[in-house]
Amino acid sequence: MPPATHWVVTASFTDDGSNAYRRADGTWSRALAEAGLLTEEATGKVHAAQAVADEQRLISDPYVIEVHASDSKVEALSARERIRATGPTVPIRRPDSGLRR
Amino acid sequence: MYQYDDHDRRIIIERAQQFRGQVARRLSGEITEEEFKPLRLQNGLYMQLHAYMLRVAIPYGLLSSTQVRRLADIARKYDRGYAHLTTRQNIQYNWPKLGDVPSILDDLADVEMHAVQTSGNCVRNITSDPFAGIAPDELEDPRPYCEIMRQWSTFHPEFANLPRKFKIAVTGTPGEDRAAVRFHDIGIRIVENAAKERGFEVLVGGGMGRTPHIGAVIREFLPKRHLLSYMESILRVYNLHGRRDNKFKARIKILVVALGVEEFRRRVEEDWEATKTPELELPDAEVARVTKFFAPPAYEKLPASADQLTALSLGRDRELGNWIKNNVVGHKVPGYSAVVISVKMPGVPPGDVSDTQLDAIAGVADRYSFGHVVVTHTQNLVLPDVKTSDLAKLHAELVELDLGKANVGKLTDVITCPGLDYCDLANARSIPLSLEIAERFDRIDYLNDVGDVSIKISGCINACGHHHVGNIGILGIDKRGEEFYQLMLGGSPGNDASIGKILGAALPQDAIVDAVEKVLDRYLVVRESADERFLDTVRRVGFEPFRQAVYGDALFGAAAEKGAE
Repeated sequence: MPPATHWVVTASFTDDGSNAYRRADGTWSRALAEAGLLTEEATGKVHAAQAVADEQRLISDPYVIEVHASDSKVEALSARERIRATGPTVPIRRPDSGLRR
Repeated sequence: MYQYDDHDRRIIIERAQQFRGQVARRLSGEITEEEFKPLRLQNGLYMQLHAYMLRVAIPYGLLSSTQVRRLADIARKYDRGYAHLTTRQNIQYNWPKLGDVPSILDDLADVEMHAVQTSGNCVRNITSDPFAGIAPDELEDPRPYCEIMRQWSTFHPEFANLPRKFKIAVTGTPGEDRAAVRFHDIGIRIVENAAKERGFEVLVGGGMGRTPHIGAVIREFLPKRHLLSYMESILRVYNLHGRRDNKFKARIKILVVALGVEEFRRRVEEDWEATKTPELELPDAEVARVTKFFAPPAYEKLPASADQLTALSLGRDRELGNWIKNNVVGHKVPGYSAVVISVKMPGVPPGDVSDTQLDAIAGVADRYSFGHVVVTHTQNLVLPDVKTSDLAKLHAELVELDLGKANVGKLTDVITCPGLDYCDLANARSIPLSLEIAERFDRIDYLNDVGDVSIKISGCINACGHHHVGNIGILGIDKRGEEFYQLMLGGSPGNDASIGKILGAALPQDAIVDAVEKVLDRYLVVRESADERFLDTVRRVGFEPFRQAVYGDALFGAAAEKGAE
């Protein structure tokens, strides 16, 4: 069966700018897999608006993204959100030439 | 190089202190992100895809070894052990925590650095020729004028909220534009008039982004003393008449096109005639005072470099010989050379330099180049004043540091924006393409055979990777949530400025580097001789042979179909 389309509320944590995903209980996780899945985009928009009003200290710029959810995983639909969820796809730190000596 | 006076020092320290308070209020929730955003942007702090990003200003790209060590220290203490060289001669840190940024600004202020004018709708960091002050073909060192304009523009109250960001570049070499002045909001060329007086040719309305334009000359000769008053008039006309209702139409290039160059010039001249008061004139004494900071270092009297360079480039050490040919640049002082350190290596995101490398580069600069380093807009580093007799020793040290690649100006010396791996605005990734190009073409004989060709990659239409002016330009686009790439040919940022044109339908990621290879293979077949540069061949034969090479192939045709509108 094809994975079902859901919506998730995401934002950035204010302290370090890392990804924040809204859990079903209204708390925030750094992992997309822990996000609360919504069956309607409109509900996500309501949660995002609430977060702007109530949780602006903890998180910044909440918005809604589309995901595919199956039993095994939750995956964002757009390339942007997939990369955002998993981190840069390229080496993060230049190999330390000091180690070559 | 320029040394801060008490005023410079005070305003930068005060700015860092103000930001510490603003950050504390944001972290406590006293101010919202909406309120905080303009404040952080005025301090070079962006929110990117995975983290904050702090962009540090490097006026005209020039750094002292002390500053390079401090940048290394910041990378180690507050980031992930590396810094990234940008396409406007700045550096950026990709992972700072908000609470650490005030301390980073303190550390920067301590070595006369800051992050102002690296974001927001103000006059941005002023860029220049990376070989300023040493180029044999230079008419005059542009850096004193860059510095004068830096001081004039920093916190200038009238121009703190322009319709959009504003970029200025200056070159002192009329014969060869290495600062892409024709692609800046204002481009300035130091020129000589018929009476042999030095002044400025002023271009306006150049730029890349979604509507690329080559700047138009609005004044062929501006006497030097009027530099600031004329800049003010240009900015005032833009500030008054530039669009603020649509950010995509807010750059000065749009205004220049809308009014027409003649009408834009008329308005500037009219304002200038009314406002060029004596207070805005640049006294010779002030120019002389600033110029002193850029006085040549204590060069030794040495024999000319030509024979040594020939011997080194033709010697038995082929790695050294290729590096001499590709990475060493002529110097106006006999016995000295400029060295371009390539920061384009296989397996390494272009422009990323580790903290230990930065420390080592500072040491190399102290030992070989009077303690100076220049960041280039091509995301490399220049050691400007190296004794030609030291080149072999220096090369050996750079090889040990993983910085000895002999590919400057060659096809693996790719300008690349951060793309979708880091950037909040990007539509597609840039760095993986650059890494693939670096791996695939990492054969020195092939690089030398293909010769001088520039590849420039942007992950979106904002064109931070300068794709419009790449001999080969690659633009990442989003098609229904997937990454595709347009291939462009024929761009050039220099005196022969041109904007590249799209070759054909967009290609998926797994086909774009293959397409580049097909273009290059076709070039090797159709060029008149090994002396005909790629750009000249494209201009001579047109796009058809390259279109055939890329899209004639059935596989590519099918791949491109998926990317067609």
